[in-house]
Amino acid sequence: MTHQSKRNGEKLILSEEGNDSKPKPSIEAKRVSLVYGDGTKAVNDVSLTVPRGEFFGFLGPNGAGKTTFIKILTTLLKPTRGEARVNGFSVGEDPQAIRESIGYMAQETNVDKDLTAEENVRFACEAYGVPRGVREERIRNLLELVGLYEVADKRVKEFSGGMKKRLDAATALVHEPPLIFLDEPTTGLDPKSRKKLWKYFEKINDRGRTIFLTTQYLEEADYLCDRVGVIQGGKIVELGSPEELKKKVGSHVLEINLKGDKKSGKNAAEIVRKSGILDDRATVETTEEGLNIGSDRTRELGTDILVKLRDEGFQITGFNLHDPTLDDVFLAITGERIDEGGREEPSLNFER
Amino acid sequence: MPKGSEEIGNSLEIRRSRNSFLGDTWANFKRWILKLSNTPTLLIMNLLQPVLFLLLFTEVFGDVASAQIEVIIGESIDYVSFLLPAIVIQVGISTASAAGGGLVTDIEEGIFEKLMVFPMSRTAIFLGKTFSEIVRIIIQIGIILGLGVLLGASIETGFIGALGVIGVGIMFSLIFISLTTIIAMITKNQETMFSILMPLIFPLLFLSSAFLPLDIMPGWIRTVARFNPVTYGIDAARAIVLRMDVMTVIDIELFSGMWNSIIPGVLVLSLLVLVTGGIAVLTIKRETSAEAK
Repeated sequence: MTHQSKRNGEKLILSEEGNDSKPKPSIEAKRVSLVYGDGTKAVNDVSLTVPRGEFFGFLGPNGAGKTTFIKILTTLLKPTRGEARVNGFSVGEDPQAIRESIGYMAQETNVDKDLTAEENVRFACEAYGVPRGVREERIRNLLELVGLYEVADKRVKEFSGGMKKRLDAATALVHEPPLIFLDEPTTGLDPKSRKKLWKYFEKINDRGRTIFLTTQYLEEADYLCDRVGVIQGGKIVELGSPEELKKKVGSHVLEINLKGDKKSGKNAAEIVRKSGILDDRATVETTEEGLNIGSDRTRELGTDILVKLRDEGFQITGFNLHDPTLDDVFLAITGERIDEGGREEPSLNFER
Repeated sequence: MPKGSEEIGNSLEIRRSRNSFLGDTWANFKRWILKLSNTPTLLIMNLLQPVLFLLLFTEVFGDVASAQIEVIIGESIDYVSFLLPAIVIQVGISTASAAGGGLVTDIEEGIFEKLMVFPMSRTAIFLGKTFSEIVRIIIQIGIILGLGVLLGASIETGFIGALGVIGVGIMFSLIFISLTTIIAMITKNQETMFSILMPLIFPLLFLSSAFLPLDIMPGWIRTVARFNPVTYGIDAARAIVLRMDVMTVIDIELFSGMWNSIIPGVLVLSLLVLVTGGIAVLTIKRETSAEAK
């Protein structure tokens, strides 16, 4: 990853230790579950603590339970089991206090197209009871922060997707909340708008605010988050820094397509594993087409692996070296591919 | 010290907003009024159909209808005066549909969910919106009444009567705003909502006293009209415009003249406002509850 932006060194994450006032964590979830009426377990026994000031990410595919969990924390849904506290307030007992002390940017862009950018932010100010005296200045500052001050009087109807998202972010910040929820804030945006938005989120977090983000993009979690939880089937299956997470797959992934059936993929995996080319932290997973190999040195060792397979009589129909994706992380962590429930092959993982 | 630390002590403490119910209502009222003033074409579009009805019906059926009405009522009445109250009620229906449309757009675009996360009173959210719709109805009915007068209609009860007609229009609209709110909250979808609503509107108008006196209609229409809220809205408004007792679906002789139509009409409308409004409140409560469904 070329755009490393970890700011842990300069950033303030309030931990419990050594602090007299002992600020409460921004989020404390204890064994939270949510089962829908039709029996779907959207969130399944999730426990999580997010300290103040942290940029936390929930990484998972569609339907993993990310949005449901955010809806629980933002008081839109009551957990069917467990307890969650947000900014120290219980979601069950004091939802109003939570609503007053959080910012929320939902997955869809929730801005009013019939209003101008400024009118949208002003309405949010009124909704959050921002004192009249500071309103004008706040509106101006926020529109400047998200780069929309020049178009403040333009109707949102004319805005691009990225501009709407940025405006949405501004409306979530009017009351200067100490905790902000961003539900897949960049889904559907082009790479340029996405990166622009990342910069704004970084800025917001650098001011000491806690951010809880959900995303389907590993790259996004990697760029922004201090800590990431991988969620699948309503459960947290992995929790750690992006670095720790990526170590599961290495720095690059080599995808090899082989001629023949799945058995040849399995045989090839066995051969690669025993070849001694890779160290024991590398992962070798069979796929529909052949193999996926992840390691810190995939780039250097790729040729050796391909030559080895050819020498062993395998017909390589194609290969591809790419940055690890969420798909790769999933494959490495869970041995399952995203969106392919049931079709997955048992994994051959060198860690096991 | 790390940057940003100075903020921890002040701006990042957990603050509570202290919104008032009135403030929340005002903020929501203002939002809808702003939307309306930003999109004046919608206001005109909304009036298009009622205006067309007023013009075409008066031109096409005016002479025939006036003759019939004279036979039945025994008095010579300009058809445009007879029709105007019906068009007022039609405006009420179309504004109420737009109200439901606005709500469903909010739901579809996720703005409604955002409102639910805002620390505002939920009652105030709906109240503010409803107030803005009342303003809209006043404007639209005002335009229609003005147009009617230009076309030759005479409001026998004068300016006070015109205000009374607007009042009846507002009451009637509240019933339909409640209905469209219920449909919007349940369907949460523009297309589904209008596919339920649209086929209802024309039969409701035509199976009432809107265009001709009920006495010359087939028996079954008279029966349907008796249970059609549109009839009561129109008869109350028409009684004010014509200054006479025009209600035929129920016969009340307790009061004098036009009041025999206005009072029962307004009573029926009030009852319906309470019932539909109550169901709307319950639907909103159920649909906005945080219980997992």
